[in-house]
Amino acid sequence: MDSQLLNPTSLKSRFTARFLRALTKINAPNPISSSSPTPREIFQRYRRIKVAADKSMAYSVRSRTTWSRATLSRLRTRSRHRRLASFGPRSSVTTAAVLKKTSSHGKENEGGLGVQAGELRELVPGGEAMDLCNLLDETAHYIKCLTTQVQVMKTIANLYSLE
Amino acid sequence: MQPCSREMQAMNSLQDLQINVHTPHADFLEQMLSTTSFPASSSSSSWSDLNPQDNNAAAAAGFHHHEILASNLRQQQQINGGHDSNPFQAMKMMMQQQQQQQQMMVAGFGRATVAATAAAGVGTHQGGGEGSMQALFNSLGYGSLHQPQASFGSDSTPEVNHSQVPTAAAATPGKPKQKVRARRGQATDPHSIAERLRRVRIAERMKSLQELVPNANKTDKASMLDEIIDYVKFLQLQVKVLSMSRLGGAAAVAPLVTDMPFEGGGDCFQTSGNGGSLPRNSNGNRTPSDNESLTVSEHQVAKLMEEDMGSAMQYLQGKGLCLMPISLATAISTATCHSRNPMVSNVNTNSTGVNVSHLLLQSSGGDGSSSPSLSALTVQSATMGNGGVDGAASVSKPLD
Repeated sequence: MDSQLLNPTSLKSRFTARFLRALTKINAPNPISSSSPTPREIFQRYRRIKVAADKSMAYSVRSRTTWSRATLSRLRTRSRHRRLASFGPRSSVTTAAVLKKTSSHGKENEGGLGVQAGELRELVPGGEAMDLCNLLDETAHYIKCLTTQVQVMKTIANLYSLE
Repeated sequence: MQPCSREMQAMNSLQDLQINVHTPHADFLEQMLSTTSFPASSSSSSWSDLNPQDNNAAAAAGFHHHEILASNLRQQQQINGGHDSNPFQAMKMMMQQQQQQQQMMVAGFGRATVAATAAAGVGTHQGGGEGSMQALFNSLGYGSLHQPQASFGSDSTPEVNHSQVPTAAAATPGKPKQKVRARRGQATDPHSIAERLRRVRIAERMKSLQELVPNANKTDKASMLDEIIDYVKFLQLQVKVLSMSRLGGAAAVAPLVTDMPFEGGGDCFQTSGNGGSLPRNSNGNRTPSDNESLTVSEHQVAKLMEEDMGSAMQYLQGKGLCLMPISLATAISTATCHSRNPMVSNVNTNSTGVNVSHLLLQSSGGDGSSSPSLSALTVQSATMGNGGVDGAASVSKPLD
């Protein structure tokens, strides 16, 4: 089926390696029981896996793109929020203020695409402070990485199910 | 001629154009067409050194500028009356006019040639500025056009006279800030030039995005952006769903919303980690590939549903099944039917006031790598003992 080898430096292989490592770390402590665990556990597990997926993807991209940097910082502050609940609101407020300052520039010339550009900014992490030109660049890279992520996760899911 | 170039650089009218000079080489041709930075670009290399060969690629495009230059020179002649004007002043006014005029008079290469030679001829007429004009032409890489100059010498004057007449009305004494209408789609001031460059870049990126996004046959930008937005949302949702499915063993989210559908009226979509759970449920007689076992489980579910929805849910979850409205189930089954072999059977069962009709879908993956068998169990109960749950249905499918 899969006769060609993965290019060891490609995005796909980097992401796969990281993600599998994270997955084993998640699966290790709690053995999978066939009886349904509590909803809380399930949600936590889903959350952890999703975070692992996003984080491994962002790490694979390093800091080359704005969205990866934004994702990483978002994940870091969120984990920090979990631990130090009291500090949470403050840092989020400051980051929001910083973003508001920078977001006003460069968004003047969007033609008639303001609505969609705003939506896209919400979707792509870190897109708030970018003009349309860079936003489209980021979107292209983001889409490429998302498709890689989905492909790899699909394959892993299949492997799990075939066991 | 170096001081001349420096002087030009100092001109504020060229300040903005300077920016265009330093853009990457790939945009060079586009710059030639859209900006009037020719004299500015020549300042980066010495005036007389610029060879026609270097500008061969841009020579064709440069004809436009040639034309403009020619017309400006003609105007210049007109304005100054041919007296010995300050060459810097002449250059300055010419640049200003160039900025405002752009390429409105491009008619064809032939005319450009003639005009160029006319301009060259005109340039020779001008007294003090002759050397600088010649240098300008040399630097602009039109040295090759100097050849026909001699032969077209006689034609130059009528050309000049002819063109001087229409420009005479336009030319006003002093520093003419000519309001010449720009060519359609182009503006003359640097801001709009930058704006145009931005638009071009955005168009490039939209094109590359179009290749990434499937179903991207839209022509206008707004709908294309909508497609892109939808695709990004879809991909993010896929990641979420996939991370749910890999929970391996247990039904994932179903317990979370156990209470919901039986209050509201059956509008719930629940997915379970079917991919992981099915093989783990090694109860032999319950494999979904067996048609009979499904019927058995259906009855089981119906029975359970009479007592308590929650337990029915739990039972389904154990098998990796979930509940969803029938309409959604049919929509999904028709949507994802491409590589599968759906088997549909309809059975109507009436038992103690519970009207059960179910739709059974079983399909197997097409190739080895696709997901394993998809089994769906749909139960619709019109009336329930504990009241009013319409449209509740259960469907299970492994996540794709």
